[in-house]
Amino acid sequence: MPEFECRLKAFRQQKGLTQEQLALRVGVRRETIMRLEKAQYNPSLKLAVDISRAVGVPIEEIFLFEEEVVENG
Amino acid sequence: MKKKTGKRLILAGVACALLMAAACCYAIFCDNGRLIAPMDFSQYQFRLQDLPMLLSFLAVAAYFLVLLFLLARAGLRKPREPITRKINPKLGWLGLFGFFGFLGFYTYPMDGSIFPFTFFLFFGFFGFFYEGKMSNTFMDERYRENQIKAQHTANKITLTIIFLAALFLGQGRLIGSLEYTLIALVVIIALSFALDIFLSQYLLYRWDQKERDEDKED
Repeated sequence: MPEFECRLKAFRQQKGLTQEQLALRVGVRRETIMRLEKAQYNPSLKLAVDISRAVGVPIEEIFLFEEEVVENG
Repeated sequence: MKKKTGKRLILAGVACALLMAAACCYAIFCDNGRLIAPMDFSQYQFRLQDLPMLLSFLAVAAYFLVLLFLLARAGLRKPREPITRKINPKLGWLGLFGFFGFLGFYTYPMDGSIFPFTFFLFFGFFGFFYEGKMSNTFMDERYRENQIKAQHTANKITLTIIFLAALFLGQGRLIGSLEYTLIALVVIIALSFALDIFLSQYLLYRWDQKERDEDKED
């Protein structure tokens, strides 16, 4: 599994959503959102797009892969 | 399936069973047990007295066909809800039937029957303990991923066991007797299938539970 950084928690809180509410919106369990926020689960493209729409932030800003993390410092 | 249809099916099943019982009684008491006692069917000739047995057999066969058809139709129509099936964890006690497998060690020396060894398969039903604990759980993509991973791991382990058993027992007289070799193979295959059924449920539960516990700790 490629290592990545997930900034979902910050964007979710900005949007004023709880994990439960976000999970309901994107059709997954709360545990899945938890693991996503800890970057311990690599989501499918569909889930990533759904999350990005739910929090209103582009995917590439939510999930940062290794090279991007290094580039962004 | 509607309740009314279920009741009708049960009634039809009871009627078929009664019909068969009546036909058996008729055959035993009025027709010298014809079609019940072992006979050579290659020399069978129809007699009017056979009708009750034949009709009851047809009724039972038709009943099972209808039952299969209704079950298949219900399965096709049922919308696939992303929720695990409702199972009572107590069903796991069915795994105790696996101990009937040991009867084979009694029946084989008595009459050479090795069929009871296949009862070892029932040990797999202990997996219901874990499936029951995950009853009615919403299956999102992470759950399905874990499910596939658990099934894959269980399959890999059991296929390795069967492969190794086939490799060693396939030598033939490894235990000194071809019959013992066959028995060992039947026992190993039955136990492997049981392990596959159990392990896929156990691993799925363990992974899901472990993740939940980790999440609780945070």
